[in-house]
Amino acid sequence: MVSTVQNTDVKQKDVGQAVVVAVSFAAVFEAEPGDARSGYRLGVALPLLQVLQKVNERLLEENPAEHQLFDIILITTDSWQQQQSFSIINSTRRHGLEVSRFCFSKEEDFIESLMQNNVQLFLTTDGNEALQATQQGVPSALLDKNLASCPSEQLRVLFCEDAIIQPHAGSTAASKKSAQQSFLAQLGQIRQKFGMFNSPVCFTLVTSRGGKDSCCSTLKSLRALGVSVDEAYCLGGAPRGPFLSLLRPHLLLSDGFTQLDG
Amino acid sequence: MNLNSSQTLTISGQDVVKNGSQHSWEDAKTILKPSTPSKKPPKPENSITIAVSSRVLFNMEKEQQIFEQQGMEEYIKYQVAHETEPFSPGPAFSFVKALEAVNTQLRDLYTESEELFDVVLITNNHAYVGLRLINTINHHQLFIERFCMTGGNSPIGYLKAYNTNLYLSSDPVKVHEALEEGIAAATMFTPEKMTEVSETQLRVAFDGDAVLFSDESEQIYKAHGLDKFFEHEKAHENKPLDHGPLKGFLEVLGKLQKKFYAKGQRMDCPIRTYLVTARSAASSGARALKTLRSWGLEIDEALFLAGAPKGPILEKIRPHIFFDDQMFHVEGAAEMGTVACHVPYGIAQRVPEGKGIKDKEISSIK
Repeated sequence: MVSTVQNTDVKQKDVGQAVVVAVSFAAVFEAEPGDARSGYRLGVALPLLQVLQKVNERLLEENPAEHQLFDIILITTDSWQQQQSFSIINSTRRHGLEVSRFCFSKEEDFIESLMQNNVQLFLTTDGNEALQATQQGVPSALLDKNLASCPSEQLRVLFCEDAIIQPHAGSTAASKKSAQQSFLAQLGQIRQKFGMFNSPVCFTLVTSRGGKDSCCSTLKSLRALGVSVDEAYCLGGAPRGPFLSLLRPHLLLSDGFTQLDG
Repeated sequence: MNLNSSQTLTISGQDVVKNGSQHSWEDAKTILKPSTPSKKPPKPENSITIAVSSRVLFNMEKEQQIFEQQGMEEYIKYQVAHETEPFSPGPAFSFVKALEAVNTQLRDLYTESEELFDVVLITNNHAYVGLRLINTINHHQLFIERFCMTGGNSPIGYLKAYNTNLYLSSDPVKVHEALEEGIAAATMFTPEKMTEVSETQLRVAFDGDAVLFSDESEQIYKAHGLDKFFEHEKAHENKPLDHGPLKGFLEVLGKLQKKFYAKGQRMDCPIRTYLVTARSAASSGARALKTLRSWGLEIDEALFLAGAPKGPILEKIRPHIFFDDQMFHVEGAAEMGTVACHVPYGIAQRVPEGKGIKDKEISSIK
């Protein structure tokens, strides 16, 4: 059973053209609630949500009639949280988060709620949830407190070398691939709306394991999908940690999801 | 060690092969043991990392002009349109090839060791230009498996992340930034014509003051003149000078040299180092040598020029790279075909050099 509540404070996006990003409740709000009056503390997804909103603002500056915006929805399967729906919605308002819809479902139905809402990217702090969603063909990313935790004017998206699913046999893989490709293509289109300088979106490719040829072929594959990468780093086996702390990505995209290596 | 100034040197034993010609090296490659199958780059903490920018590794003059005259968009368009056309070699190219030659010889002698040179490309270019750079690396068969295309961001953090031992760039601002962060760095210039250099022996030439050594003595000279400088150096002959920004690099070269010595390759070591200084053998030179000795460092040849120009002697030595803190010497070297790099460190950067030719001659004496 999936129920959706619209946030009347936020202008609803054109679902056909928007890039729907679903965020799990636990990623947005800290597990332990404060008291009933103060609501919830903000979780690791906050910087990302704020910067997605900034991108929307810039997109609308470029074109006030723009429909290809990020549409942020909140998903929760926790029945206790669902009882607190009023409090959740209030907290969202209070922190100025532009969440357009709240989706409540049972745990076994959460994939259904992703599908129903045409979700193109699912963000969570729960590895199992991310795995499940990916397996069902919804591109997912695992959020981690190591990711950019300070406010930023620019959405920094990091692609890892396996960001593009290579063709495997099987229909699940095919639909997985096409969902991911369509999401990447949309990201690419959004990036194209801005110039090289002063862009609120920046794409970075990091290849850790393969050599320059693997980096080369990923650059080409991304380009074929319409994703022009701004920065590229081929680490050739060097430890990833120092680079990630320099690059400060908000979002790490790879085949499925990625854990940060410290 | 050669203590006479300006003497003609004979280069013994090493083949001096035309720069850019692949033939003799290709022949040599078939004679040497084939490279180990798993030729992965070494771990940064084990290797000696040399970071080069795209404009010193390759000749990108034409593209640079387009960027300066027509802006970024046209520059990128041009690069992408010419993506499959490799760039021709830049001033650092022969240096990088020589590093690879040393690596091959090291791998022969120490198959498991990761104490090798690792060349990393660190460029401000956007990844759009990346494919052309990668294609060029492949075309010239360079072993560069690590790179950063920072899309305009400062390279300094990445230099540190790779444990960079030496950074070469055509941009003096970045070089200065790197030096401030304690990374050995130099601005590389392209000579109008590059003399042929060895393809089998790496030769690195260093100026002394404000490069290997600190600029403390140079400060004395600039403030109080030549006589006072000589006096001071004689009086402090046994007090080692403080270290300069490139001391560390000489040190790592020395470490690799010892590995060759251990296998009996002292006379024909694939790495050779030179000190080319305006100090004079008779007086101020002693302190320089004693300082090196106190650091436990060796230099293969020390040339004390007592103020004579460095260009001609470098033209005889044929180093792959020469480091100096004074633009006057860098230019003099480049005029005679040596790939010379400026180390923007110390007092020479703040006190302008003399204007007239006569003044220049005097000011070049350290």
